[in-house]
Amino acid sequence: MLKLLLRLGLLLGAAGLLGGLGIALGLRRGYVDAFYARFTAPPAGSLVLGTSRAAQGIEPSVLAARLSGRYAGPWLNYAFTLAESPYGPGYLSSIRRKLAPGTRHGLFVLAVDPWSLSLPNNVQHDKSEHDYKAQIINKLCGRNVFPEEKSMVSQLASVSQNPNLDYLAHYLHKPFYQLLLNADTAHVIERLHPDGWLEIALPPPTADTALLRRRTAEKLVTYRQLAASSQLAQARLFFLQQTINFLKQHGQVVLVRLPTGSAMALLEQQYQPGFDRLMRQTGVPYLNYLHLPYPTNDGNHITRLAARQLSVRLAADIARLPAQP
Amino acid sequence: MLFNSLHFLVFFPVVLGLYFGLPQRWRAPLLLVASYYFYLSWKPLYGLLLAATTLLDYYSGVRMSRLATEAQRRPWLYLSLASNLGTLFIFKYFNFFREAAVELATALHLPLGVPTLALVLPVGVSFYTFQSVAYIVDVYKGRLAAEQHLGRFALFVAFWPQLVAGPIERGGQMLPQLRERHQFDYGRAASGLRLMAWGMFKKVVIADRLALLANPVFDHPHRFEGLPLLLAILAFTGQIYADFSGYTDLARGAARVLGYQLVLNFRQPYLATSVGDFWRRWHMSLSGWFRDYVYIPLGGSRRGAARTQLNVFLVFLLSGLWHGASWTFIVWGALHGTYLVLESLTAPGRTTLAQQLGLATRPLLLRALGMACTLALVAYAWIFFRANSLSDAFYIGTHVFQGWGRLPTAQLPGALAGLGRHFVAELLVAGGAVALLAASDYRAERGSVAVWLASWPAAGRWAGYLSLLLATLYFGIFGSSQFIYFQF
Repeated sequence: MLKLLLRLGLLLGAAGLLGGLGIALGLRRGYVDAFYARFTAPPAGSLVLGTSRAAQGIEPSVLAARLSGRYAGPWLNYAFTLAESPYGPGYLSSIRRKLAPGTRHGLFVLAVDPWSLSLPNNVQHDKSEHDYKAQIINKLCGRNVFPEEKSMVSQLASVSQNPNLDYLAHYLHKPFYQLLLNADTAHVIERLHPDGWLEIALPPPTADTALLRRRTAEKLVTYRQLAASSQLAQARLFFLQQTINFLKQHGQVVLVRLPTGSAMALLEQQYQPGFDRLMRQTGVPYLNYLHLPYPTNDGNHITRLAARQLSVRLAADIARLPAQP
Repeated sequence: MLFNSLHFLVFFPVVLGLYFGLPQRWRAPLLLVASYYFYLSWKPLYGLLLAATTLLDYYSGVRMSRLATEAQRRPWLYLSLASNLGTLFIFKYFNFFREAAVELATALHLPLGVPTLALVLPVGVSFYTFQSVAYIVDVYKGRLAAEQHLGRFALFVAFWPQLVAGPIERGGQMLPQLRERHQFDYGRAASGLRLMAWGMFKKVVIADRLALLANPVFDHPHRFEGLPLLLAILAFTGQIYADFSGYTDLARGAARVLGYQLVLNFRQPYLATSVGDFWRRWHMSLSGWFRDYVYIPLGGSRRGAARTQLNVFLVFLLSGLWHGASWTFIVWGALHGTYLVLESLTAPGRTTLAQQLGLATRPLLLRALGMACTLALVAYAWIFFRANSLSDAFYIGTHVFQGWGRLPTAQLPGALAGLGRHFVAELLVAGGAVALLAASDYRAERGSVAVWLASWPAAGRWAGYLSLLLATLYFGIFGSSQFIYFQF
């Protein structure tokens, strides 16, 4: 057995060394994917939270430049996607891990929309929110009340580690050799900035092109299907409130409804006409930008230039808010 | 627990170290605990299901061993079959048959209020129930002595390397090994580790990469026709082989390191020269199970030509249903059943044709033709296995022959989208890896790869092992997908 262990150790050691060197070289060249840098950034004092609309639509560095005197840093966009970071127990745990310990005067911008507060119709969501027994049964049967429970954001234990081996081993959905290929041009279309903002650099002009029309149509089909198969969930609203309550202990919380394409905004209004009223009942300021006419890349996410303009406006609006007790 | 997870990378060395570190009498209990840990790490409650069916099968076996005639043993056989097949029916087939019954009742304007069962399919249930059924039938028939040791029987059912996706072992093959004392053997362990490394390469480098090519098309088939559909079908043909045989290599390799020999499940199936030959090479433990416990009891080939063809067809229909409670799997099974019946009926005609065309004197050409035709038929049938619905499958099955006049097609980038921005590099990697798999199968067809490898100089062998590990690390796609056959 010793012979096998020695030979195996030698072989695995050589493979580990050569493999590790290559991967380290790839990581040194900078760009990994649209999420990785958020999990290597140090714990943050101020956070932008939400799904992909927030990930692409709010630039923390713009907010920081205008508001840094008032709020704690570092600033980070910690928003992901609808599948990864709707409001729920997984995202809340991840936010707890990402928040810098001892933060007192942070700013927490929570982007909200009906989709990130919905659950599929076939989930028995409203029962298990507080029901301890139901939670245990669900756990034992492997039923996920929240579909994102097995997702990267919910599962990743280390969210401020560089390099983040846990992420690389479990959630990097591309082979390592690609880190060494075309690293300089890898972020031609998407680029994750050090502040967590995901810049989508589609070739201009995007307005009125056939491509934009096709993307918008596809997105609408997806969201119409989502509207038909989902409903606003008490369980998600409960966790949104839990998130707000937690973050209020560490600074100021602001809810923001981000602008989107006009057809998407109409669909959202039809899906959840009472959504704005619900958000105003959360006990924190609610800024509704849904109908602002910013251009989008796909009828859903605003363009990078619009993101900058919106971030400037958001900073100005937050600056005008009364200080939160 | 997945073989391609970090969890397993910890689990396996720990089990291995403890196994060979403990005195002999503690090794089987350790394997049993490890097997249940392996299974419980998925969904704890379903461990109880496994334990309950194990207890019932054990008790039925022991009771049968004390009864002299088949008639006396029959109630225990029925009890055990009802337990195993009942479990399978409730968890896997109830909702499917309920839906079919409701549709039929609706068409006949009859009221039928049967509720849907909100149950998650237990991983590996089709495998371990079939293994238990084989055991209990063998004991009933007197072909196998019932296992009197509960722990050993429980380990036979739950042995972790093959618990969730086979190979489906027989009591006569596995139980004697569980009674043996196993000493550490360098050659055997090294051979097991080599098999595991190759299995891992097949899974993460080949199968998961081909999935990126197949999935976008199979998930939205109506956007494509012609070449993209053909590419996706071929990609899935490669994916399912690399995925399932990769899993089997990992399972057999892990068991071999521990000192156990699991049965061969694949023997270069895509080198088969007929569909019948394909089924003697593909998922051999399942084919053998259906032969011994369905085909032969149905009469096999003993009741005339027509009945033989019917039996073959029924076996493949059931095999399709075994794979999944869906019409797509049933059609897949029926298609293979039809292939085999036609193959049998046209055999004399094909022989005559081959002689007339002069192919009989050119065995290599005849063999190549046979392989190409078989691969085409098998690949076409995979459409039904992979498609998300029957309508998708029919669309793909018909539109793959259309739209070729418009090549190069504008749909191609869409079909390649799953490979990401580096799709040219990805195509090269996929092509290289598939070529390596094909070369390995070609070599295995001519004799043992292990023996061939042993004839290499040591430096070359070690360079080969290192290259395989590095290729797995650099080109592997980690962190996402489970093995396809886990769903069955």
